[in-house]
Amino acid sequence: MSALRILVSFKVTPDFEALRAADWAAAAAGDGADGVETRYVRRVLNCFDESALEMALRLSDARAERGVATDLGAVSIGGREAEPYLKTLLALGYERAARVEPEAALDFAPAVVAALVAGYVRQVESCDLLLVGCRSGPGDSGAVPFLVAEALGWPCLTQVIEVEARPDERLRVACMVDDGLLRVTPRLPCVLAVGNAVVSQLRVPTLTERLARKDKGIGVVAGADLGVDIAGELRRTTCVLTRLDGIERARDGVIVGGATPHDKARALFDDHLRNRIERL
Amino acid sequence: MRFAAILDETMGNAAQQAHALGRFLREGLSGDLAGETLVFYHDDRDKTRLVELAPTRAVRLIKTTARRPGRAVELLTAFVHGEAVPLFFFAGGSTGMELATRLAFRTGGAFLTEALSVAVEPDRLLCRRNVYSAHLVGHFELSAPPWCVTIDPSWKDGREPTASREHDVLSDTDESGGPGTSPFEDLELVDPPSAGDLAESRFLVVAGRGAGNREGVERIAEAARRMGADFGVTRPVAMNAWAPMDRLVGISGTRSAPEVCIVVGASGAPAFSWGIEKAAFIAAIDPDEHAPIVMNADAAVLDDGVAVVEELANIVTAERADD
Repeated sequence: MSALRILVSFKVTPDFEALRAADWAAAAAGDGADGVETRYVRRVLNCFDESALEMALRLSDARAERGVATDLGAVSIGGREAEPYLKTLLALGYERAARVEPEAALDFAPAVVAALVAGYVRQVESCDLLLVGCRSGPGDSGAVPFLVAEALGWPCLTQVIEVEARPDERLRVACMVDDGLLRVTPRLPCVLAVGNAVVSQLRVPTLTERLARKDKGIGVVAGADLGVDIAGELRRTTCVLTRLDGIERARDGVIVGGATPHDKARALFDDHLRNRIERL
Repeated sequence: MRFAAILDETMGNAAQQAHALGRFLREGLSGDLAGETLVFYHDDRDKTRLVELAPTRAVRLIKTTARRPGRAVELLTAFVHGEAVPLFFFAGGSTGMELATRLAFRTGGAFLTEALSVAVEPDRLLCRRNVYSAHLVGHFELSAPPWCVTIDPSWKDGREPTASREHDVLSDTDESGGPGTSPFEDLELVDPPSAGDLAESRFLVVAGRGAGNREGVERIAEAARRMGADFGVTRPVAMNAWAPMDRLVGISGTRSAPEVCIVVGASGAPAFSWGIEKAAFIAAIDPDEHAPIVMNADAAVLDDGVAVVEELANIVTAERADD
């Protein structure tokens, strides 16, 4: 039986929680859509993509236990900040890891990102299963998986929380859809957009694993290699970010006094909660 | 300008879709507009109810096959080519997002997901939506019709619309025998989402990473249970598997608008705060006076969250016993 080919598309994003309030305020005060200054904060894996990357490894492990092969690849539409993660994925058993040089900021250009991912599948690495996080910041459009599926002519399952390898080698996929938990068996090829999966953290490679695979190289691909004119696509974008506003969430923030946890809980209850809870 | 609101009963809760779309059309949409509702259904017995739920007076019914979004997109694409409707609204959620983005792709139109508001001008659409994990709101301009827009999940508030008999059914077509087969086999809808109670909660306790460990989260959950409150968690807690994912509150989980929300040991990151910002009253318990949640709460206790919420549960249960 031929190996199941899985490709995971992932994104490395700035850690928004590490940004200062002043940076958000500066972005909101700007004249146009200059974006937010994020160069100084650490980079993290988009959380849904992290689930997808680990899910692919577990699927590969489960198939290996039954003696069937899985071929794993990973690609990121992103700059050099993706390379430490690509190296980690190679150490963890991904056969290939590559990034597509974005050439410009694509944070609010989901159609261009989707064209690049679809181009990568068509031109560089064909697969049976494309795993991708269901959304990623800062654009958070959630559109990329569907647009990739459209470009490839493939079906797409979204809000995937579990992928199980059945004994007959077909896949059983669980999705948290709008009205419940749906389990389906998709025909391949297929796009799976991973949502709030229980599998949420990528395993860490051992030093031995890193050393064993340290010579494996990372591929770097240009948009032109994939038949995508990134600058031209950006000029033709039909949905343009024009301005950013802050969101005011501040309330009274009254500090409740007291010497002990009991005193404070008592003051919170008497001064703020008693009447509200009684009315419920 | 004409618009169409899409009600897809074949993929989910039509009543909640209708309510969210109705709220959005009344409160989130501006411009000189006339609309109709396209209702996708698969069971004739639901027709009357679905017509009564429709958020516009004019209604078109389209019978199709359940859980085949690809077929719905084909029918919508044909509708775009046959009718001069440049604007489509879809309810929030994964179904609406799939239909809107695929329709835009096939018709060469522009899409925007999770709109907070939409202003319609003759040659463009001006929309607002959350970006940067709900740290900011972005303003977007859409240029190429047809414009395919999904509305923000916050337009859904757990309620259902009042049924109305004032509707005109413009057409009723049967497309259920359409071409092709589903790419998905052995469909099995297992559970309704158990987090539904969070979206409709009136009294909610949320545990954050400050709980420290699984035991801390379980102690907060037990305190919530004793107070008669629903229990939710922030993303870091769910990611650590200290509580099930279906308890997740925030931009990637449930949005709740309770009368009382007690946040225990959460810093108040915007992606979480989005999930509770419609609460009537927020109390925060956290030792860090500089945590954003302190300023974003109506009242705050600066102390260990687990200890204080357990004391609070003792007080609430004692007061109830005295009544």
